[in-house]
Amino acid sequence: MADTGRVSIRLPSTIKAGEVIRVRSLIIHPMELIQRDKQGNILPKNYNFIHTVTATYNGKPVMRGETTQAVSQNPMFIFPLKVDRPGKLTVTFLDTTGKSYEGVAEIKF
Amino acid sequence: MTKYSKKSAVSRRAFLRVMGGVVALVAGNGACPAMDAFAQENPTGYPLPDEKIEAVLKRLFGSRTPNAGDGKIKLELPLIAEDGGNVAVTIEADLPMTPASYVKHIYIISDKNRRPLIAKFSLTPEAGKAYIGTHIRLADTTDVRAVAEMNDGTLYAASRNVRVTISGCGDLPPQN
Repeated sequence: MADTGRVSIRLPSTIKAGEVIRVRSLIIHPMELIQRDKQGNILPKNYNFIHTVTATYNGKPVMRGETTQAVSQNPMFIFPLKVDRPGKLTVTFLDTTGKSYEGVAEIKF
Repeated sequence: MTKYSKKSAVSRRAFLRVMGGVVALVAGNGACPAMDAFAQENPTGYPLPDEKIEAVLKRLFGSRTPNAGDGKIKLELPLIAEDGGNVAVTIEADLPMTPASYVKHIYIISDKNRRPLIAKFSLTPEAGKAYIGTHIRLADTTDVRAVAEMNDGTLYAASRNVRVTISGCGDLPPQN
């Protein structure tokens, strides 16, 4: 997919200081399924899926997810964030091919 | 508000393989804690062996039994999932989120998947609330469990049954 690795972060349209918002982060990623042969044996190969999601706000960790192939294609992760001051939210995705994808959103009031 | 950015590190794996060789030469054939830590940080995509639900619960929680999370853990799932490949799940824990006492981990476990542990999320007090939403794959009609672990090790669990019409894991061999 040409779009693989595109990260989008959606925030509520109005954000007030001190409130807990829900951040919706989405990545375009195939999250490859395990393939089996006709006997039902698993084909051993390096499957391409996201194994770690991390979110940091102003450098402080907020959320970390260890994911498996049981997470859907083009996965979305919704997580809370307490915004008491403006700053930069970074969401990083790591996949099993060693690539990392990053999305950044500025939060201001 | 929305911004896209791309970062690729194609050569990182090759670089680290070479570096790993150097480290192995220096450290001899003994165990190297730094490399072990790295191995956990970057698991490969090779399939792991199937696991039973009891084994997973034992591996994750040992002998600790989760408290019933009725009223504390809200697990939202559809009753019937037509496509097992994309099932929306949200977990909201009505538990404190202060530096002294907070929800440290949230586990999503499906009893009948080949590997029951779907995802493990770790939160910090910076999050302000214990909430996780994502989309998961379910292999079969199954119970889905959500377990929240507090920073002191207390567990709260909730579970819901989901009827799955079409398996989302492609687990069955192709029908020819």
